[in-house]
Amino acid sequence: MTAALSICGLTKTYDGGFTAVASLDLEIPDGAFFGLLGPNGAGKTTIIGSMCNIVRPTAGTLQVFGHDHRSREARHLIGLAEQEINLDRFLSIRQILIYHAGYHGLGRRFARERADELLALFRLDHKADARGYELSGGMQRRLVLARALMHRPRLLILDEPTAGVDVELRSEIWRLVKELNAAGTTILLTTHYLEEAETLCDEIALLRGGEIVARGSSVSLRARYGARDITEIYQRVIAAESLP
Amino acid sequence: MTTATPTVDAPFHAERPAFWWLLEREVMRFLIVWRYALVGPVMSTLLFVIVFGTALGRHVDGINGIGYGQFIVPGLLAQSMVNVGFFNGTTSLFEARRDRYINDVFASPLRWWEINAALVGGGIVRATIVAVATLTLALPLIGGIGVAHPVVLILGTPGVLLVAAQVGVIAGSLAQSLDHVNSMESVILLPLGFVGGVFYSVTDLPRFWAVLSHLDPVFWLVQVERIGLLGRGDVGAGWALLAVWGLAALLSLWSALIFATGRLKP
Repeated sequence: MTAALSICGLTKTYDGGFTAVASLDLEIPDGAFFGLLGPNGAGKTTIIGSMCNIVRPTAGTLQVFGHDHRSREARHLIGLAEQEINLDRFLSIRQILIYHAGYHGLGRRFARERADELLALFRLDHKADARGYELSGGMQRRLVLARALMHRPRLLILDEPTAGVDVELRSEIWRLVKELNAAGTTILLTTHYLEEAETLCDEIALLRGGEIVARGSSVSLRARYGARDITEIYQRVIAAESLP
Repeated sequence: MTTATPTVDAPFHAERPAFWWLLEREVMRFLIVWRYALVGPVMSTLLFVIVFGTALGRHVDGINGIGYGQFIVPGLLAQSMVNVGFFNGTTSLFEARRDRYINDVFASPLRWWEINAALVGGGIVRATIVAVATLTLALPLIGGIGVAHPVVLILGTPGVLLVAAQVGVIAGSLAQSLDHVNSMESVILLPLGFVGGVFYSVTDLPRFWAVLSHLDPVFWLVQVERIGLLGRGDVGAGWALLAVWGLAALLSLWSALIFATGRLKP
């Protein structure tokens, strides 16, 4: 079976000379729920940006379901909910969803129907004509997630999807994401909520300084490190080794 | 659910080309703020026509046998197209970069040249609306003018619009802050407009300044509109058309390089 994501030798050095990721290899199977954990600056957002055509990799090959990551096919198969709220300030939230669908080639009627469907699902329908900046933080987060789902991606990338949201919305988001995964969507998740990553993800990779330092299911990682939970492993592998 | 999940091995197929969606978004963006985006530039150009053309123009001799009010209208038209193109590109692209919603476009199946073309297309549509409205409202104020060389106008105006829109997209891609955008306007665009022969014929200048004026891109844009509408300019129609389209090609190449090489991405 073709991997959902295959990264080989990814290196990214930014203009200032900072190397965020160095010769990284990563393969995520189709249908997986994969967690990418690491501290700020570990390279998670750089990896995601490289996959999604918003960061220029310095070296390496990236494939999405066997397609070069820059191809239209690859980009159509990925849905991205970025960590930062990045909403078109000129459009209403319904238009944000419709135009996103349009950029992915959907026709107008389908785009409208899908937008209404997701606005209802994310309980944003009463705000359909509002601008993104008029929404609360939680609503903006829901909108970013709804936008990522507009074109029905096969690989959903969630970069800190629950940052700054309340407990109720967090559990709502996780329930939805679990349903999507059960229906066949591959999920790549980054989060600072380690216990949730442990519960949700089939497989976890710990990232430090742009390198994967540990990878496996939570069970296998616990056994390997003789740890009670993923938090303890994280403390040992990431936090402790980051100390001077 | 209304749409099927894409299969992983099927080639990408668009029910409606993504380019049209982005172009539509670009046009809708300025229509939403039409008071500032359309009425503002039309009003400011009309004020120039009223103050310089009708009020002061009575006290100024005509230039090359043309009334002063009529003389300045083609130049003001070119200047307003450049200003609108500049502000459209900077507002649209700079804000998309600053707020990072350009990432939603880059991550989509849109190709680099489609993104470039849609941004430029938005600027062209906006500048066209402003130019047509300005001309329609300005003509009765100055007693009307004909179209002396329709071929020059038809061949040249799309070049002027393309230059205007490309300038905006390039400025929008280079700007690092709002101050940067404003300084581009006041340090580059405004002076080039003033010395571009909008209000005078460069043949009236001392030779050194007349020659120097030929290095100003706005000068050539003004000439195309003036020759097209009034039939007279400071240069021949062929040279003016060549210069405008050469400039348009150069700016298009620059703009294409920015998008093709991914310079807008970190």
